Amino acid sequence: MTQPNLRAALRLPKVQAAAPTAGTEARGAGPRAAIRDVLGGRSWLRRGQDPLMPDIRAAALALIDVTKVYPNGKRALVDVDLVVPEGDFAFLVGPSGAGKSTLIKLLIRDEIASSGVVYVAGQDLARLRRRDVPRLRRRIGIVFQDFKLLPSKTVRENVAFALEVTGTPRRLIAPAVERVLAIVGLTAQAEQRPSTLSGGEQQRTAIARALVHDPTVIIADEPTGNLDPLISWEIIQLLLRINQLGTTVLMATHNAEVVTALRKRVVALEEGRIVRDEIGGYHREY
Amino acid sequence: MIGFLAFSVRRAFQGLLRNAVMSLAATITMVLMLLLLAGLVIILSGLQAGLAFVEQKVEVQAFLNDGVSRERVDALIADVESLPEVADVTYTSKEQALAEWREQLKAQGKQDLTAVTGTNPIPAKLNVKLKDPQVHGQVAEKLKAPPGVVQEVVETRKVADAIITITDVLRTVGLAIMAMVGLTVLFIVVNTIRMAVMARADEIEIMRLVGASDAFIRWPFIFEGLLVGLLGAGVTLGVLALGAQPISQLTNVLVSQVPIGFDDRLGTQLLLLVLAAGTALGGFGAWISVRTYLIK
Repeated sequence: MTQPNLRAALRLPKVQAAAPTAGTEARGAGPRAAIRDVLGGRSWLRRGQDPLMPDIRAAALALIDVTKVYPNGKRALVDVDLVVPEGDFAFLVGPSGAGKSTLIKLLIRDEIASSGVVYVAGQDLARLRRRDVPRLRRRIGIVFQDFKLLPSKTVRENVAFALEVTGTPRRLIAPAVERVLAIVGLTAQAEQRPSTLSGGEQQRTAIARALVHDPTVIIADEPTGNLDPLISWEIIQLLLRINQLGTTVLMATHNAEVVTALRKRVVALEEGRIVRDEIGGYHREY
Repeated sequence: MIGFLAFSVRRAFQGLLRNAVMSLAATITMVLMLLLLAGLVIILSGLQAGLAFVEQKVEVQAFLNDGVSRERVDALIADVESLPEVADVTYTSKEQALAEWREQLKAQGKQDLTAVTGTNPIPAKLNVKLKDPQVHGQVAEKLKAPPGVVQEVVETRKVADAIITITDVLRTVGLAIMAMVGLTVLFIVVNTIRMAVMARADEIEIMRLVGASDAFIRWPFIFEGLLVGLLGAGVTLGVLALGAQPISQLTNVLVSQVPIGFDDRLGTQLLLLVLAAGTALGGFGAWISVRTYLIK
């Protein structure tokens, strides 16, 4: 491949993180092959070597030509290209079984891509040693539909737990916990146990826990799935505020109302492929 | 580091208490095994001491009949001394033998019943020292040759052989039983820790997600296993301490002839052995469990 062609390939909207719209144009085999060639010779990824090459390592999240095939033969993700620049807010939508969960598992390195490259917070996850995985996860805050709080611990203890089990010095724990409890607005409920809290408060506790490591990315997997519409809005507002404070947010959701109302970047998955990547609503608008 | 240790130990205690029944079962089997181990060591070292005692004694003893004339005895001594394998023969008269016997009783703190009988029941004897303890040659035959002089010949080698045989059998059987009980203990510890892991499945999942290192996930359980081992060792040592007095009396009665000296070192060795065996088994069991059920 000649150099001009390559550069043309690199101007792809999906790789150029600043222009995430009109992604569907890029679903041909040629451009992807070009990216694969580039990644084959990894020297192209070096910072500043080519002004036209977006520095993928600077992005909060990047999946390039990623395919995930499970041992049972199921192709959960096929040729997925997705770059989320730092500070971005993106929705991940799609029907159940479209591959949203697999994508999230790849990002937190719960699973490893069958092919392609996954970058999170500047790290190539395929090259990440097993013992370095915990350090990666401290840079990712993850929030689930079912909150995953410990029922025997208070709000404060649940949040502090994340610091405690990562060996944070004791004197640093209390102030960090106070700070995130203030961000999510749970200072008053700090001594309550999850069972006495509303669903929204429980999810805010989970978000506080995700925030306490001061992560570069928050990944929320259906965070409003168990909540009524009003409370859902509260949670979304909270995630938007966290995003405004500089944290990248990737939120997988079925909540069409929220997605459509916010006019943020929407990445739609269907049968393991990205079928849409643009600013817009939950449903295709054209 | 201190935070890590405090965290691990605290969680180990929590785990132990949370699953009290299983922990108790593990501890009790652990105690059983350690008691068996200690008992085996005590008996074997007792036999070892007995063996040493027998071996350091004269190799061949001949007990003489009462009322044999001194001339015949001297002739026998001369006969035996002429054998090439014999180093030395010493004669102990009835009176000397009685005095030795009384001394021995006194040393063991037992009552001297011979003072009551009025007669001397202890026979005179010949102690034959061999040049090589293993080569007995014709000594026994020679001693028995003149009719009516020697009542009984005791060859240390035979006694020693008997003790060695007993020791070997006991060691083999004991170790086999130990191995089986040890394996059982291992399984129970593995199962206990497995249940502790399952009880904490939610916590472990969260720990993984928030980026806890493997050490933080793994060590609390290994500490829990170590704790079971330590607890078992502690109870075992308590039982041994309580039982030490009656046991040593019992052994004195059983083997009154052989003053088995359980020296002070045996106590220390037992202490260390029980502690080491308990913690090793507990820790190893937990390690296996954690490896099997935690690592992914």
